[in-house]
Amino acid sequence: MNVTQLAEQLRRDSQFMKDVTRWEVIPARPAKTSPFPESMDARLIPVLNQRGIYSLYTHQAQSLEATARGEDVTVVTPTASGKTMCYNLPVLSAILKDQDARALYLFPTKALSADQVSELYDMIEGMGVDIKTYTYDGDTPAAARRAIRQAGHIVVTNPDMLHSGILPHHTKWVKLFENLQYIVIDEIHTYRGVFGSNLANVLRRLMRLCEFYGSHPQFILCSATIANPKELAETLIGRPVTLVDENGAPMGERHFVFYNPPVVNRQLGIRKGAIPITRTISGMLLKNGIQSITFARSRLTVEVLTRYLKDMVRDPLGNAGKVRGYRGGYLPGERREIERGLRSGQVDAVVSTNALELGIDIGALDACVMCGYPGTIASAWQQAGRAGRRQGTSIVFFIASSAAIDQYIVNHPDYLLKQSPENALLNPDNLYILLSHFKCAAFELPFSDGDRFGNTSSTEELLDYLDEQGILHHVDGRYHWSAEDFPASEISLRSAAAENFLIIDITEPAHHRVIGEMDRFTAPMLLHENAIYMHEGRQFQVEKLDFDACKAFIRSVDVGYYTDADLNINLSLLDIEKEEETSRGGIAGLGEIKVTALVTMFKKIRFDTHETLGFGHVQLPETDMHTTSMWWTLPESLASRVPSDRLKNGMMGIANLLRIVCPLYLMCAPQDIAVVYQVKSPITDQPTILLYDNCPGGIGLSHKAFGMKELLLEKALQVAEDCSCTYGCPSCVGPVGEIGEDGKRTAIWLLKELVR
Amino acid sequence: MNLRDKLRAVDGGGAKRPAPAERAEADCRHFAVYRPAEEFPGAWDLTRETLAMMSEKEMPETFDPRRILYLDTETTGLGGSGTVAFLVGMGFLTDEGFEVHQFLMRDYPEEPYLLKHVANGLGKFDVLCTFNGTTFDVPLLESRFLMNRMDRDCLDLPHLDLLHLCRRLWKLRLGRCNLGRLEEVVLGKPRHDDLPGSEVPQRYFTYLKTKQMSLLDDILKHNAQDIASLCVLLNHMADLYLHPEKIRFSEDVYSMGRALERINLTENARRCYRLARKGRMGDSAGTALAVSYRRSGDREEAAKVWREMIHERRGGIMPYVELAKHEEHIRRNPAAALRLTEQALFLLSEPALRESGTVQEEKNELQYRRQRLLRKLKEQQIDGIHDGTESE
Repeated sequence: MNVTQLAEQLRRDSQFMKDVTRWEVIPARPAKTSPFPESMDARLIPVLNQRGIYSLYTHQAQSLEATARGEDVTVVTPTASGKTMCYNLPVLSAILKDQDARALYLFPTKALSADQVSELYDMIEGMGVDIKTYTYDGDTPAAARRAIRQAGHIVVTNPDMLHSGILPHHTKWVKLFENLQYIVIDEIHTYRGVFGSNLANVLRRLMRLCEFYGSHPQFILCSATIANPKELAETLIGRPVTLVDENGAPMGERHFVFYNPPVVNRQLGIRKGAIPITRTISGMLLKNGIQSITFARSRLTVEVLTRYLKDMVRDPLGNAGKVRGYRGGYLPGERREIERGLRSGQVDAVVSTNALELGIDIGALDACVMCGYPGTIASAWQQAGRAGRRQGTSIVFFIASSAAIDQYIVNHPDYLLKQSPENALLNPDNLYILLSHFKCAAFELPFSDGDRFGNTSSTEELLDYLDEQGILHHVDGRYHWSAEDFPASEISLRSAAAENFLIIDITEPAHHRVIGEMDRFTAPMLLHENAIYMHEGRQFQVEKLDFDACKAFIRSVDVGYYTDADLNINLSLLDIEKEEETSRGGIAGLGEIKVTALVTMFKKIRFDTHETLGFGHVQLPETDMHTTSMWWTLPESLASRVPSDRLKNGMMGIANLLRIVCPLYLMCAPQDIAVVYQVKSPITDQPTILLYDNCPGGIGLSHKAFGMKELLLEKALQVAEDCSCTYGCPSCVGPVGEIGEDGKRTAIWLLKELVR
Repeated sequence: MNLRDKLRAVDGGGAKRPAPAERAEADCRHFAVYRPAEEFPGAWDLTRETLAMMSEKEMPETFDPRRILYLDTETTGLGGSGTVAFLVGMGFLTDEGFEVHQFLMRDYPEEPYLLKHVANGLGKFDVLCTFNGTTFDVPLLESRFLMNRMDRDCLDLPHLDLLHLCRRLWKLRLGRCNLGRLEEVVLGKPRHDDLPGSEVPQRYFTYLKTKQMSLLDDILKHNAQDIASLCVLLNHMADLYLHPEKIRFSEDVYSMGRALERINLTENARRCYRLARKGRMGDSAGTALAVSYRRSGDREEAAKVWREMIHERRGGIMPYVELAKHEEHIRRNPAAALRLTEQALFLLSEPALRESGTVQEEKNELQYRRQRLLRKLKEQQIDGIHDGTESE
């Protein structure tokens, strides 16, 4: 059965259709084309013709023209719209004209770089010219590095390698820096939050060096659809950009099916789980030979689903191999193999975390199943974009979980279909991040009095501070690096913590092997002792977690359960930036806090039924994070009018509501912020609800929330009042079992008093 | 919180430190050290040919041992563009002895002066000699010239990196070859109260803050000693290349053999191998000797060595295998080859050897050879019958 037939059959299936809240058909779109622009070197035309390309899509042509005018360009296009042409054509044209010209390509992951290089090679080979393209990353052999530094026309790398491998050794890259004409940054929408703030500073350092070497490179940036591509690009590179965002690529017909699992317990508002439904739908696709990708939100769900689907097709011929899991933590070789399998059609179904959202080339698939809302509109479209060929029909299923945000989406499909996607926020002047990059920048090239670092206003103050600390040495108007350390090695661009945990399989005593890695913040949750760690659907039990050495030792097991850890959070105040009185004598505050996280226990959960089998204790050190926060205190006059347990239930309800509302209005991913309530807060000494940026130093979300402190409460009230449940459900204040029978009432009453 | 306090909170920094102000002059500081000629035995006799032979590098026509510049840097770190060479020492032989000139930047503004002295120094000599300069000192200076927008061409001298040469001769015996260890073990002159290299950067940073010149005394001493040692070491090595019989350790004799073979001094190399066969390196030396004969086509001589090794019970099964090959393919004597192969198999049946995977592989190979030889013998017999040439 093909996709069209399957779609027709499902639409006639009333049992299925009763739980479908919307079946949207996005019509096919024809191509809009434009002739090759003059700025493009004529030698490229035959190669393009060989590939069946006789004109450009309009967005490609516009981008080429803007680049030719010397502007920095940001191209916004969906998956598979030929965006790579937007940078490959100008870069190749430039090098064809001038053999000395150089270009630097930045991709967020190694996988993407590998893809791009092979595509470039093809074009260069087709022309039969001597343009050297090299990937320079951690996997590049030492012997090849010298050649790349000297002769590479196009150097393909990632932000991490640029940060720690290239910039601190810039004197070995003279040729590149002196002749750098283009800096290409793909997938810029991934550079939000900490990663983006770090990259913005890496680029400030890069531009400082270019100035030293006398080059003036132009930027070509590409982004998936987000609300603010121009703002993001301009914050990243610190200069104005020209936006090209009218997609000219064709697209086949697409079906977008919103499915809400049936309610199994109306009083408690409990629905059938999203995982069993996903298992059924992905299984149906698999049986019909429709190549599909299933996205799950957590690594754990990916593993559980992979196992289910593998079991469905397992046979002595090894057909289980047609189903693969894919997520961060798999080693590169394994990932490349899965990607190849998808392109060649050997893999029929892949279950993935958002790791496959990025532009890794896996070809276009026929169907996509989203098990739960990925958290942002942008991600949802990225995931949906994995299904959809330029011709032919494709289908996307969105399976809502009982999480509030999922319920909101499935009941308001227009939010996803019509609303603009989120802003990508970053804060290059986050003090943690800025200070680290100041050290790197000073190491790379001494600062002189009066120098500015990007658009930072406090350059001089920061330099004087580092001078006082003896890290810099101020003499004759210059700040010299005067410490033994290599500052770039102390920062990881992707998280605040530097080292990753290695996951070591010790099942065979004589043959220990590393099967994956995990970041420091996630490790306590998934790799605590006795946790069941899943990898490609296989189960392992964590035997030992060596926290200091950053190693987890695991052993293969086969048990009927998985584990889920509980995270305990403690907050303390570092500094108050602003306080304002709200109506009724409450206080809204903004400031810096310390968040201490500790995993103390975990649950064992049975497969299939998902019932809790038991608990276990975890003994691990705490992890600390300094970040920004905003909070609302409840005025004494209000809090004293209800008994304390009722107050607690009401506050829990408000916190749950804010968790739904804030990501929507702050336009961020739910995991970017945290909302907690404290009946007697150590920070304000009063009943308080706090919201904080879920990354060290913060990326500006708390500031944004402070600016809409009334609006957020109003919207929270509206969600609670609009919800049809009586005593609370997961879609508003939370389930009754959690907040008690008076929780919803109390929450609404408190909110009404607060916003009046 | 103001920015300063915030920075402290974020960074965990302490209070402000006082920095004494001292104006830098329009030059860097210069020190000269003179060492007597008797500390550098043979140094004036070093010839262009010897050096070219050792280093496998073209040496300039005008070569003179007095035109080698020995250079060593002391730095603020381990590399990257934020690392600075704050002290560069350059030494050379004169008619009277050995002179070391050290240039120290008392603060960062003096770096261009220091680099100018380095460029001038390099410009006056024909050959550069360092210890690990290929990967460290030269790229570092290159980077410093670049950062100061100065010409780096002065670094393009023929370069002798003693680390590589020393590794060839002593790595087998010593493992790690750092200069201090070589002085102690090879030259027999251990250093006392030497400042460990790892403490150098911190010492310099403390000096920058306090400007107490005495803090640098150890570094200056250490640097001058390093440079003098380079010259002694080079000449010691040249002496050994010319007179390998002076070498006392069998590991070193064997290593010298390899080094000489590498530069095609085959006869000298064989002399070393023969010397080394008596000692701990007997197996390797014997093998190297036989292989060297085989390579030059002298197969009978090689076979002789293999036979001697069997006689001396050296080299495990290798001599048997090699000799079996010789008997089978060169001498066309499958019966002898079979005998040797079976002897080797017998050696491998030693119970202590049984477990390892490579032993199993070797056994398989030998069995394969044995079967082939048996087949050959049979064919020969049949052929013999047909030709009527079978004896008896």
